Amino acid sequence: MIETAAVPAGRLHWQLAEVREIVVETPRAKSIKLEVPDWQGHLAGQHLDVRLTAEDGYQVQRTYSIASAPEDELLTLTVEQVPNGEVSPYLVCDLRAGDRFELRGPVGGYFVWTAVMGGPLCLIAGGSGVVPLMSMLRHRDRRKNRTATLLLYSSRSLEDIIYRQELDAMAHRDSKLCVVNTLTRKRSEDWTGRWGRIDKALLAELCFPPEQHPKTFVCGPTPFVESVSGFLVELGHNALAIKTERFGPTGDRHD
Amino acid sequence: MIEDVAELVLDGNAAAGLLQEIFVPDITIAQIQCETCGTVAGVGSLRLYAAPMGAILRCRHCDSILIRAVNTPHGCWIEMMGTRSLKF
Amino acid sequence: MAPPMNQTVVSRGFRSRRQEQQTLRDRVPSGQYVTTEFPILSAGPTPQIKVENWTLALQLGNSLIGRWTWAEFEALPQTTMKTDIHCVTKWSKLDTTWQGVTFDDLLKAVGGPRTSAPYIMAHCDGGYTTNVPVADLVCGRGMIATRYAGLPILPSHGGPARLLVPHLYFWKSAKWVRRLRCMEKDERGFWESLGYHNYGDPWKEQRYEGD
Repeated sequence: MIETAAVPAGRLHWQLAEVREIVVETPRAKSIKLEVPDWQGHLAGQHLDVRLTAEDGYQVQRTYSIASAPEDELLTLTVEQVPNGEVSPYLVCDLRAGDRFELRGPVGGYFVWTAVMGGPLCLIAGGSGVVPLMSMLRHRDRRKNRTATLLLYSSRSLEDIIYRQELDAMAHRDSKLCVVNTLTRKRSEDWTGRWGRIDKALLAELCFPPEQHPKTFVCGPTPFVESVSGFLVELGHNALAIKTERFGPTGDRHD
Repeated sequence: MIEDVAELVLDGNAAAGLLQEIFVPDITIAQIQCETCGTVAGVGSLRLYAAPMGAILRCRHCDSILIRAVNTPHGCWIEMMGTRSLKF
Repeated sequence: MAPPMNQTVVSRGFRSRRQEQQTLRDRVPSGQYVTTEFPILSAGPTPQIKVENWTLALQLGNSLIGRWTWAEFEALPQTTMKTDIHCVTKWSKLDTTWQGVTFDDLLKAVGGPRTSAPYIMAHCDGGYTTNVPVADLVCGRGMIATRYAGLPILPSHGGPARLLVPHLYFWKSAKWVRRLRCMEKDERGFWESLGYHNYGDPWKEQRYEGD
């Protein structure tokens, strides 16, 4: 259990992780629950590096955000498959319970939210950018924290919304948490929610106003993050108070 | 094919793994001042380039290089001529 | 329960998706993997250069030995080079085709070698630098390339012109090259001064200083 806001940042080393369970989140995304015996704990929003080694010695490394709360028993990553990706197809399609790989972390104290930091909390996600923000929401939930919170989450289609049921359930039992989904690509008859990309008008309508000094976290593909932060600054938010995590062009850190 | 290199830019936060092999305290939460233009920002918010070869962290205001870091099998290299100050 | 220092954990069923055929082994240096993509790596934002404003300079000390506008450069003898390229980040790309002006032809254009200075520092838009021995540029080993696969090189890949020295790791093929400065003594460029190998021969796996 993490009682304080500080996780000691010692020298990193590669640790062994074993897959305990795999959960299907969407047709393209799965959550991988890991047992990591040497794990020292993490803060919500941090990420870690995964290293895969093939039989012939070929090695590749990718970075993934931690999806689980610090309070959760198993360390969880959520991976969305990138077409022609090198690593994500293996993690999403081939990985089984009992498989092992190496990981290193937790990394990054910049893009972190802990309950003691307070709010209001403004979380804006594009696609798989929701993963580190989900860690924050789960931490908030486990702590029974009632900081006023907004999650504004942009996805391509209804079936691409990761954690949809869990987010609906969280919002349903907590009047201080507001979850707004917007879809950008595929129209569906049973969707009564919002359409279209997140624009300045939507942010003006939904976000906590600058005077309330919200803690803002924006995560997703680089163009998404640049666009959203640009709008927030135009709406009067302090650029230095907006924390961003860019996932690169495709929405996944490399592939 | 990626046409716009701007899409490859990440945050200093993404360099945290490499930097944490060099700096024991988490440098991504430190405040860093640009030698060229004087802007102060969180290291985690700087623009990160060249991630596979190392970390080139640039000022968000003037694009000057603040930190260059490479992790090699023979040791870690870091150069910070573009940094006026770093506050942990 | 960390894995022993000299042993990594092999992940069941993971393999490289990059193509590798047995017949190509002698074209792929140790530690490299063949890709059909063309990954981009840049140390800074892409300079947006208009060819009307572009010039290339050849320099010795403070003196200018040669200078070309785009039109003048395009009027120099053009050579096509088909070659393999090897990036220090472990990808190799085979049979890439480039067109431009060889370093030999650049020297001929200024009346032959005007100096015995053995080293060149390439200076580029955006501030990137890399050092290359002159011996690794002459005899057709190096060129200033302006076309890739028959088309003008894209800005993200170093256009309008980049250095091409394919027998060394590709960080030596400096993007957005603008000036070649002859040096009596070797000086280290951008990556060479930060832990990367000063020479960078992929066939000797000279990735880092100390290799």
